Amino acid sequence: MIRIEAPGIASTVQDVGRTRHVRFGVPTSGPADPFAFRAAQALVGNAAADAAIEVIGMPFTFRCDTSRLVAVTGREVTVTVRDRLPSWTSFFVRAGQLVRVNGTERSRYTYVAVSGGIASEVVLGSRAAYPRIGIGRALRAGDSLPLGAARRGAEDAGASIEHEYDERVAAVAGPHLDRFEAAVVSRFFSEPFAMSAQSDRQGARLDGVAIAPKPGELLSCGVVTGAVQVPRGGQPIVALADHGTTGGYPVIATVVSADIGLVAQRAPGETLRFYRVERDEALRRARERDVVLATA
Amino acid sequence: MRTWPRVTPFGEFAFLVELGDTFDDALAARAQAIADRWDLGPGIPAYTSVVLSFDASVDVDRAEDRVARLLRTEGSQAAARAPARLVEIPMRYDGPDLADVAAMSKLSIDELIGLHSGREYVAYFLGFLPGWAYCGRLDPRVLATRLERPREHVPAGSVGVVDGQTGVYPYRSPGGWRLIGSTDEVMFDPARERPSLISPGDRVRFVPR
Repeated sequence: MIRIEAPGIASTVQDVGRTRHVRFGVPTSGPADPFAFRAAQALVGNAAADAAIEVIGMPFTFRCDTSRLVAVTGREVTVTVRDRLPSWTSFFVRAGQLVRVNGTERSRYTYVAVSGGIASEVVLGSRAAYPRIGIGRALRAGDSLPLGAARRGAEDAGASIEHEYDERVAAVAGPHLDRFEAAVVSRFFSEPFAMSAQSDRQGARLDGVAIAPKPGELLSCGVVTGAVQVPRGGQPIVALADHGTTGGYPVIATVVSADIGLVAQRAPGETLRFYRVERDEALRRARERDVVLATA
Repeated sequence: MRTWPRVTPFGEFAFLVELGDTFDDALAARAQAIADRWDLGPGIPAYTSVVLSFDASVDVDRAEDRVARLLRTEGSQAAARAPARLVEIPMRYDGPDLADVAAMSKLSIDELIGLHSGREYVAYFLGFLPGWAYCGRLDPRVLATRLERPREHVPAGSVGVVDGQTGVYPYRSPGGWRLIGSTDEVMFDPARERPSLISPGDRVRFVPR
C-alpha cells in the first residue's frame, strides 16, 4: 500500500490513458506531461500499462508500507527522504519512511512512480482518473492505495533520465492549414505566446498575437492531444489529456507527442514559441524518446 | 476545386480523413463505417470526417497504406453493418426554451412537441462529453439557433435542439443549445455493461411522458 499524507490539491492516479471509449465521447485522460510520466515509470521498471500518481499542488507526502523503488519527475521538483534527493532519478525507500515532494510555482504536474504501480480500480479498461464523470477522484490525506508486485529493487536505485523544459515547442502544421492565411501561419510559428492562468488538464490556453482563422464554419471533427485549436478570437488552445474528443475549432498545428509536456508545464505568464517540423522529424524524435526510456 | 476524400497528417500519430465539406447523413454513415473498420488505434468519426489514430508501435507507412485501402473498399461494405438499434428516451417537454423555440418556429407548443417526438433520429456520432450523441435531423419546421450567450450550467438530462439537431446533456455542463425538455435516463454510466445509452449509428426516438 501507499499512504498519502499531504495530497496536494488535485492529485490523481493516472496511467497512459483510456483510448477505447473515445468514440463515446470519453477523453483519454492520462498524464498531462506524458514524457515525465513515462520517465518516472521507466526509472522504477514499470510496464506500459501501470499507473502512477500525477501530483498537482505541493507539497505531496506519502509513505509505502513495504520497501520500494520510487522515482519523481516533473518540472523543478525536489524530493526529500531524510536527505534531499534529485528528481528524475530512482531511489529506494524503506517501509514507513516519509517521502516529501516539493516544487516551485513552476511545478504544475509532477509524477510519483512506485515500482509495481498503483493497483487502483480499473474502469473502462484504464486506471486513469477522470473525476468529471466520477471515474476516480482527487487524492485525499489518509488515502491508502494498493500497489502491484515490485518490478525492481534497491540495486536499481540511482538510474536517471535527463530532461529540460525548453520554451521552444515543435509542432506539425495542420490539419486545417487551409483555414488560415499564410501570413497567420507564419506568425503562429514565430511569435511568442503566454500561458494563461485558465489552463488546465483539458487544455493550455495561450495569449498572444491573434491568429484568427479565415471566416467560415468548421463542422466538428475528432481531436487528438496536442491539437492547437483556434477559436474565432484567435487565442489558441492546445488540447491536453482531458480534452474533448471532438471540437469545432480549426486546428492550425499539432504539437509533437515528445513536446506535449513542454506546453503543459508552462506556468501562467511564461512564454512559449512554436516551430514547425515535418511529420517524419516528429516520428524520429518520438522514436528517440522511446530509446531513452527503454534504456533507463 | 477540392477532391474528396482528403487525408492529412494530424500530428505524427493520426490522420484526418475528410470525406466532404457539406454535411449529409450519408457522409456521417461513411465516417462511422471507416471508424468501425480501423484497427490500428482509436477512430473518431464526426459529421463529414474521421480521425484515425495509430499506436506509436505501428509503422507510419503501414498506417498510411491501411487508410488508403480502407477508403478504396469501405463503400462496398458499408451496407453490411448490423441494422441500427432503436433507443427510446422518455422525456418531459418542460425545458426553459420550449416556448421560445415554438415561437421561433411559428408553431404552438403542442405542435413542436409533436414534431420533436414524432420522428426517429440518427445518432451521427458522439463527442463533447461522454455519452453526448449528436442526433438529427429535426423536422425542418423546427427552427432553433444557438444561444447568443451559452448557459454556464445546463443540468444533466436536459434535452436541447439547435440547427436541425437534438441531443441530451449527459452531465451538468456549460451549453449553448436551446433546452426544450428533460429526461431521467442516465446517458452514460461507466459501471454499465454498455456505458453509453446511445451508440454511434443508433436510431433515437423521444417519447413524451
